[in-house]
Amino acid sequence: MSSVTMKHIYKKYAGGVIAVTDFNLDVEDKEFIILVGPSGCGKSTTLRMIAGLEEISEGELYIDGKLCNDVPPKERDIAMVFQNYALYPHMTVYENMSFGLKLRKTPKDEIKRRVEEAAQILEIEHLLDRKPAALSGGQRQRVALGRAIVRNPKVFLLDEPLSNLDAKLRTQMRSELTKLHKRLDTTFIYVTHDQTEAMTMGSRIVVMKDGIMQQVSTPQDLYQNPVNLFVATFIGSPSMNKLEGSKLTEKDGHTYITFGNENENATVQLPDEIGRKPAVLEHIGKEVVLGIRPEHIHDEDIYLKNYPEYKFTATVDNVEPLGAQTNLFLLIGDQQATAVVDPTTTAKMGDRIEVTFEADRVHLFDPETEKCIDL
Amino acid sequence: MSSRMFQSVIMQMKEASNRLIGVIDGEGNVIAASEPSGLGDRWEDAAHRLNSANEMVTVTGGKTFKALTNWSARFDYAVFVDGEDDLAKSLCIMACVALNGAKTNYEEKHDRATFVKNIITDNILPGDIYIHAKELHFVTDVPRAVFLIRQVDKVDVAAMDVLQNMFAEKQQDFVISVNETDIVLVRQVQPGSDGKELQSVAKAIEETLKSELFIKTVIGIGTVANHIRELADSYKEAQTAIEVGKVFDTEKSVINYENLGLGRLIYQLPTTLCEIFLSEVFKKNSIDSLDQETLYTINKFFENNLNVSETSRKLFVHRNTLVYRLEKIKKITGLDLREFDHAIIFKVALMVKKYLDSREGPVRLG
Repeated sequence: MSSVTMKHIYKKYAGGVIAVTDFNLDVEDKEFIILVGPSGCGKSTTLRMIAGLEEISEGELYIDGKLCNDVPPKERDIAMVFQNYALYPHMTVYENMSFGLKLRKTPKDEIKRRVEEAAQILEIEHLLDRKPAALSGGQRQRVALGRAIVRNPKVFLLDEPLSNLDAKLRTQMRSELTKLHKRLDTTFIYVTHDQTEAMTMGSRIVVMKDGIMQQVSTPQDLYQNPVNLFVATFIGSPSMNKLEGSKLTEKDGHTYITFGNENENATVQLPDEIGRKPAVLEHIGKEVVLGIRPEHIHDEDIYLKNYPEYKFTATVDNVEPLGAQTNLFLLIGDQQATAVVDPTTTAKMGDRIEVTFEADRVHLFDPETEKCIDL
Repeated sequence: MSSRMFQSVIMQMKEASNRLIGVIDGEGNVIAASEPSGLGDRWEDAAHRLNSANEMVTVTGGKTFKALTNWSARFDYAVFVDGEDDLAKSLCIMACVALNGAKTNYEEKHDRATFVKNIITDNILPGDIYIHAKELHFVTDVPRAVFLIRQVDKVDVAAMDVLQNMFAEKQQDFVISVNETDIVLVRQVQPGSDGKELQSVAKAIEETLKSELFIKTVIGIGTVANHIRELADSYKEAQTAIEVGKVFDTEKSVINYENLGLGRLIYQLPTTLCEIFLSEVFKKNSIDSLDQETLYTINKFFENNLNVSETSRKLFVHRNTLVYRLEKIKKITGLDLREFDHAIIFKVALMVKKYLDSREGPVRLG
């Protein structure tokens, strides 16, 4: 068992800065949970509070059902891995991994057993006699993980451990960390600002902003059902298009949305499963933000035929062919939108093209509260 | 370390025993011995055994070894005595005691780290700095950064071990314990090193100490000293950075003296001047008449660049509610925070108040 429960946790600094506000979370045993958000959103502070390195101003923290607010960090049975890991340059990999245990006066035989076991899990047995200078970036990262693994902790706390690696290595380490979690079969709490890392690694994701938890859910659910504009635009790459100043109207028992600007706009009927929701009806006659994911805007003939009622004209501002897909940067009136389309598209910069969108997958947001109104 | 010093002690011990006694360095080279014929031999296997051994004495190759004490996980010097019997063991332990004493004495006089410690703590005359630097072959005019690492909440003596091993290059980096909570790292840096690089070193220190020992630290960084005589100033700046950070940047754990901004200015003001300033700004009412919620609103308004819509969104209140609160603040203080000039006065006043509170406990003015 290695569950972590946080109840109404606050972190307030002496200067009046509130880093974390009313944080509530149940991390289940053996779960891989990700805290994600832009820098300064309080995710690392939350992690440090779990570790005991930061005092909890208010609220309760339980590890394995035991109240841990006042338990010293060393007694919490956790291990931490950071972005700026420093390996001891003159020590071998074996010595690097065993150093922490030596400081804790762990018996020599036990150290040997644990280091060898961790090395086997990380597949670095052949590197144990090497010094850090003779290791690649990925191998060094594995040694840093090894230093945490040898402690046999109940919970691993990882604070942006891949941020210092180049893009290729980061992708490789992402999948290695996922496999490692399966092999170790223990609880991982992972902090990152990178939404791709969050989406690919976590069983659940906590999205944070300004010290406040925005939404907790599975990657797929966050992507499909964001509760507010922040989550909608933070999760997904390219991010969700937001057409501001869109207006909702009603005619013949249906809801219509007009987007674009005064000179160039389009009015389409929203599917009733979205347009007739009570919260949406409350916004009739008001402005809303229309959110459309780039992959739900299409210029392909088949979609133009299938969704003729959602067709509108846009100007191609830029074309970005990426091989497997092409990103079209469109201007709808004076608003920008991105469409991810088939690479066979013939659209060129400056073209006026017809596009359509999957209207049943759009989201509507209140411009004032930024909350999603079609959930 | 001078091998002559070891040789002198070993020769004195030779008078008490016929056994071969000597000293090897971290690489296994025999640097002192009671029989001069063995000098210069290299015993790599013995060095390897000593590094991986946990026992008090190590017996290998017909000899008994014991490492001299040091901060590092690896040994620097070890005593050896010919033989594997109890007498060899006893002689080895006794020689170790004698050599440790001699080593400590020698280090106090000649050790580079002690020399650096004396410089940063102003415990050496300026004229003597040059003489000692020459004696110790110490390069005087290379850029060096001073990091002051302060353990907060809880102190762990092993922090010194961790730092000694992180910065093991003894010719360039010096890790010095200055008191119970503070450790200083004087690190040679590349010419033109910027704050970003120093920040990254400090972050690595902070995160390594956190992950190895679960200790929380605050790290102050002084300006890069281009000459050895500037190290003392850099150390004082690192101390100031921590002190100023404690007042104005309570949530920061790494504070660079070069980035203290307004805080540095205010920190150097006489308190009477600060009190006069606060009385002048808050003529109508005291700053203390603003409650916590109002102060929180003001801070959020500043954080969001005086943008009413953005701030109201962050505070989860209606725009008009925020406008009402700002009007209320104007009524109390006479300052309209939507105006840049008033906002900057208020911002400075809040910092001045923080400073005064930190000096003498909360002050009531106005």
